[in-house]
Amino acid sequence: MKRYPSKRSVMVASLLASAVTMAIPTQPQVGALRHEHARALHGAIAAMAPVEIAPVEQRAETGQPPKPRASERPAQKPRSGDTRAEKPGSSKAPEKRKPGGSTAESAKPSNGSKPGPTQPAPPKGVSPAAPKPAPTPPAPAQHNDQPAGPESWGYTRKTAKLRIRVIDGRTKEPIQGAEVVLIETEQRFKTDAQGYTPWFDAPVIRNPRYRPMVAELHGQLGAIAYKDGYRDSIHLGIRVHEGIRQQTTIWMYEIGPVDRRIEPVLYQEPYHHLWLVRLADKFRSHTQPGEGPERP
Amino acid sequence: MTSVQRTVSLLCASGAFAALAPILSAPRVEAAQTIYNTSVPSVIRVAIRENNPSGEPDPRGRIMYVEAVPFTTYCEDVLPNEWFPSWHPEALKAGAMAVKMFAWYHHLHPVTIDGFTFDVDNTTNFQHFQEMSSQPTTNAAFQAIQKFAYTKPNGEIVELNYSAGYENDPNWQYRNAQKMAQWGSEYWARHGQNYVQILQFYYQNRALMRLP
Repeated sequence: MKRYPSKRSVMVASLLASAVTMAIPTQPQVGALRHEHARALHGAIAAMAPVEIAPVEQRAETGQPPKPRASERPAQKPRSGDTRAEKPGSSKAPEKRKPGGSTAESAKPSNGSKPGPTQPAPPKGVSPAAPKPAPTPPAPAQHNDQPAGPESWGYTRKTAKLRIRVIDGRTKEPIQGAEVVLIETEQRFKTDAQGYTPWFDAPVIRNPRYRPMVAELHGQLGAIAYKDGYRDSIHLGIRVHEGIRQQTTIWMYEIGPVDRRIEPVLYQEPYHHLWLVRLADKFRSHTQPGEGPERP
Repeated sequence: MTSVQRTVSLLCASGAFAALAPILSAPRVEAAQTIYNTSVPSVIRVAIRENNPSGEPDPRGRIMYVEAVPFTTYCEDVLPNEWFPSWHPEALKAGAMAVKMFAWYHHLHPVTIDGFTFDVDNTTNFQHFQEMSSQPTTNAAFQAIQKFAYTKPNGEIVELNYSAGYENDPNWQYRNAQKMAQWGSEYWARHGQNYVQILQFYYQNRALMRLP
């Protein structure tokens, strides 16, 4: 009986398959990993790189300022153009690498509490008016001009000064010693007697889903507050505009004897309604005018 | 006609007039509410409406309670939700003035809905109020205009209305409607206008007054 496929044809096909398999490059092509994020994320599960975006003043002090960008102007001169999201290709990282910011460092997951021995002093982004809480661990400071994550995820180099206040949701009294974690950057802060974290540099992250259609007018961040005896509070959608100082409040709720199923409390900050008006107007068709375009 | 008849007819006429008096309404005498005969409110009553399922205050939602909020706190907690905190300081000052005068006017004209008497609610029916949402930039704008009011030339307090408008546009059509365009305020501020000029552009026959 004649076998089909023949033994020889099976052998040839196997050899061919092996050859094709061997031909698949396991290392990316030269140039493909030119970008910092590609190097940081290569060969690993995509994870947040530790972020420490030097404040604007500190960049000026170091003498190695990045290219002057509209988004990094001081707070006194915000621009309307800043509210637009960057084009995907427009914010290429500067080619100049800083001595401290190696690829390996930026790929490490952040422990958020202990800066490495080679790392410079913590950033001076804290306002002189802001109280300086002693227990606040200095965030790892690298003079890193790179965004905290890949641009395709909405990360940019734009930053804003942010501080978060934690209060008791029932008494509205400030909570001291609560730990606040910024989800996007894994930075950790402790609140002072007034319930405030120190001012810190927060990345302005816009949702990349909307970028090709309509730029979000503000970035959004998430934070979680922890405190013994309180429910965890997750605060999402914190509005962040580049170049200015902003603050937000997290409300925490004390765990009482009647609390049986204790789960985190979520607060989702809504989009600014001016952006929603613009978003609805952008896609309005003539056949379904709805409430009609914005008018006086 | 005798004197008796005259007296009787006079009595009848006056009686008839007295009977009609409740029907004929007397002319209403009401002084305009100006910055000279009213003071800046210290507290404003804010109706809190229930949230929609996605967690935002619903303009058509049920009123849950009425909260008394210090007037300054109210204005500071409205401005960042109506204007963008990143906008030009002059646009923010124009917005702060509009927010303040809108609230002041409604404080003088409270409403009663569903058994609740209040001045404003926390939704875009009036102004978007969100507790503890004030921002440093908007607070600074509010502080800058705190000693001023924008009224009719005789000091009468009027509602300064505003609406979103279009981005990067002077929004001339809002000028005709005596309304400020929020995007228009930013447009003019970027073009070098100060907040008084922005207010003058959108609100005709109004004047900037120093509070007594």
